Amino acid sequence: MNNVTITVNAQTLSAPEGSILLQVLLDNGVSVPHFCYHEALGVDGNCRMCMVEIEGQKRPQIACNTRVKEGMSIRTLSDSIMAVKRSILELELINHPVDCPICDQAGECSLQNYYMEVGLYESRIDRADKVRKAKKVDLGSHVILDQERCVLCARCTRFTENIIGTGDLVIANRGNHACVTTFEPQGLKADGYAMNVVDLCPVGALTSGDFRFHQRVWFLKSDPSLCHGCARGCSIFIDHYPQKYGDDLIYRYRPRVEREVNGFFICDEGRLSYKNHTGDATLTTPRYSGTAITLSEALELYHQKLAASGSGVVALASPSLSCENLTALRDYCLQYAIPLFGVERGSFDETFGDDFLRLNDRAANRSALPLLGISEDESEMNAALCAASLVLNFDNQTPVSVDQIHFCVHPIDTRELQIPIAPYTEQSGSIINAFGKVQKFASTIRRRHPVPPLHELLSTIKGLA
Amino acid sequence: MSFTFNPINEEKIKKLWGEYPKKESLTLPMLWMAQYQEGWITPEAIRTIAARLELSPSHLFGIATFYTMFRLSAVGTYHIELCQTLSCALCGKDALIEHLGKKWGIRPGETTEDGRFTLSLVECLGGCGGAPMLSLNETYHENVTPESLDALLEGLS
Ligand code: SF4
Ligand code: SF4
Ligand code: FES
Ligand code: FES
Repeated sequence: MNNVTITVNAQTLSAPEGSILLQVLLDNGVSVPHFCYHEALGVDGNCRMCMVEIEGQKRPQIACNTRVKEGMSIRTLSDSIMAVKRSILELELINHPVDCPICDQAGECSLQNYYMEVGLYESRIDRADKVRKAKKVDLGSHVILDQERCVLCARCTRFTENIIGTGDLVIANRGNHACVTTFEPQGLKADGYAMNVVDLCPVGALTSGDFRFHQRVWFLKSDPSLCHGCARGCSIFIDHYPQKYGDDLIYRYRPRVEREVNGFFICDEGRLSYKNHTGDATLTTPRYSGTAITLSEALELYHQKLAASGSGVVALASPSLSCENLTALRDYCLQYAIPLFGVERGSFDETFGDDFLRLNDRAANRSALPLLGISEDESEMNAALCAASLVLNFDNQTPVSVDQIHFCVHPIDTRELQIPIAPYTEQSGSIINAFGKVQKFASTIRRRHPVPPLHELLSTIKGLA
Repeated sequence: MSFTFNPINEEKIKKLWGEYPKKESLTLPMLWMAQYQEGWITPEAIRTIAARLELSPSHLFGIATFYTMFRLSAVGTYHIELCQTLSCALCGKDALIEHLGKKWGIRPGETTEDGRFTLSLVECLGGCGGAPMLSLNETYHENVTPESLDALLEGLS
């Protein structure tokens, strides 16, 4: 497509001819209130919120359904267009309950933002005259609907209809009575991607049953990270809250746009997997014989056991460890001549993959193993395990029948020695996804008594063995 | 409660099947057939039609609720659809509602306890010249008064 030149409020922009005007404006940082348009869902033109003035056209036009042409001159700030936007917003809000103080969306709500931007009028409708609808509909899959807050933009229904294809959500009835619903009670399934509608909903109508009322969004910090739930490595934001007198807790994952990998979405299982990486879910102190011990006691035990086992030591690495951790581990094993394997039994789940995002390979960094020269030979590993007298297990889930020392993220039900290593949510690093894309993740989450990432731990125990 | 179209409707569906470029276009005809056959559109009918047309049941439900002439709950043996639009409103539909309320103790949208009568309010039926008017099981009755309504209802079995 040719690039053409357009003028927006006296600023000159260049954009591909025929592209969606609203998207061009948004990409260039021009604020245009809008509800129904979403880059992932395309143009629907139902909310009428995105009005702009176009030189030479009699009436204001919706920017989402306007294609860019050479020489277009657009105004988004004139008094007349502001008056139009204010009226449309007033209509959108006519039956809105304005219950922001008890609404989970407050702080990240388009209605609130647009009201501050173009609204600021006194309501002309008495609260008692507003249409009342259901305040708490459990749509299924942890998605809760407040029908009174809905602006009927149809983003959620277009997601289930056009993106996922299950068509679980629909707008039923019409006029004042129109509301989003499902045919079957709790009928929202969307093939395991349902919770994306919570992010899509521009207002507080759809909220996450998992997150709602747990934390105000303005207290949360967001770190860019990668889901480790399968070999796709979807981009996510980890939203967490550093408590003043406690650990830094994760409250939710949200999808982060990464066109080449996950687009705008993530799967529900990945989204909820934060629970395994926060609070009490992870191991924080070394344990032996069922009791907590200190790290120096643990390392002493480690060295004793290592010395006692002589050459019968074998190491297993989880194929989900980051490149940094795997590199450090490989070097450590090379230095002490310990055979290392990156095979993990059970890390392929034939029931998990689909034709959207989810992949059967549940390991986040398997692609790194050959690049780092870590063996993936299962029969060699089995032979080595048969001959071994001690296995150093670095978060690998393969069942092993000899004595083990575990370097693990999660507590394990065993009397064997367990030494905690930080989950990916508490460190920075990189992983390579199933398609060979190297991706970095970063996290500022630190516990009050931090658990070291594996590479840090190895550097402290190096040389002592 | 299961649902199948009766042979007459199956025959109609067969005729219509090839007549539209998209199967989806049979949505409204099939909803009508289900309503005439069962008296109302049952959840099972929605599931059946959705499956036949390869649409989601939610999508079908959205369409069935959009059009107010589709009924999503059972009505009585006799269905009175009383016009509430301008001409009929000016010419006395309120008196008719009140009359039936006194007679049976029901409000618009309700069915008598014996399941014989349902009273619904509808928009203009195009019989404005004979306002106020109603449709009783799809037969029009115009210039209705409480007395003529009583006489009409007396005559029913
Ligand atoms: S629930 Fe949210 S996304 Fe769905 S139509 Fe309403 S406002 Fe739009
Ligand atoms: S598809 Fe895989 S990487 Fe993406 S969110 Fe789901 S589990 Fe995580
Ligand atoms: S965003 Fe343009 S009409 Fe809704
Ligand atoms: S207004 Fe009643 S039939 Fe037209």
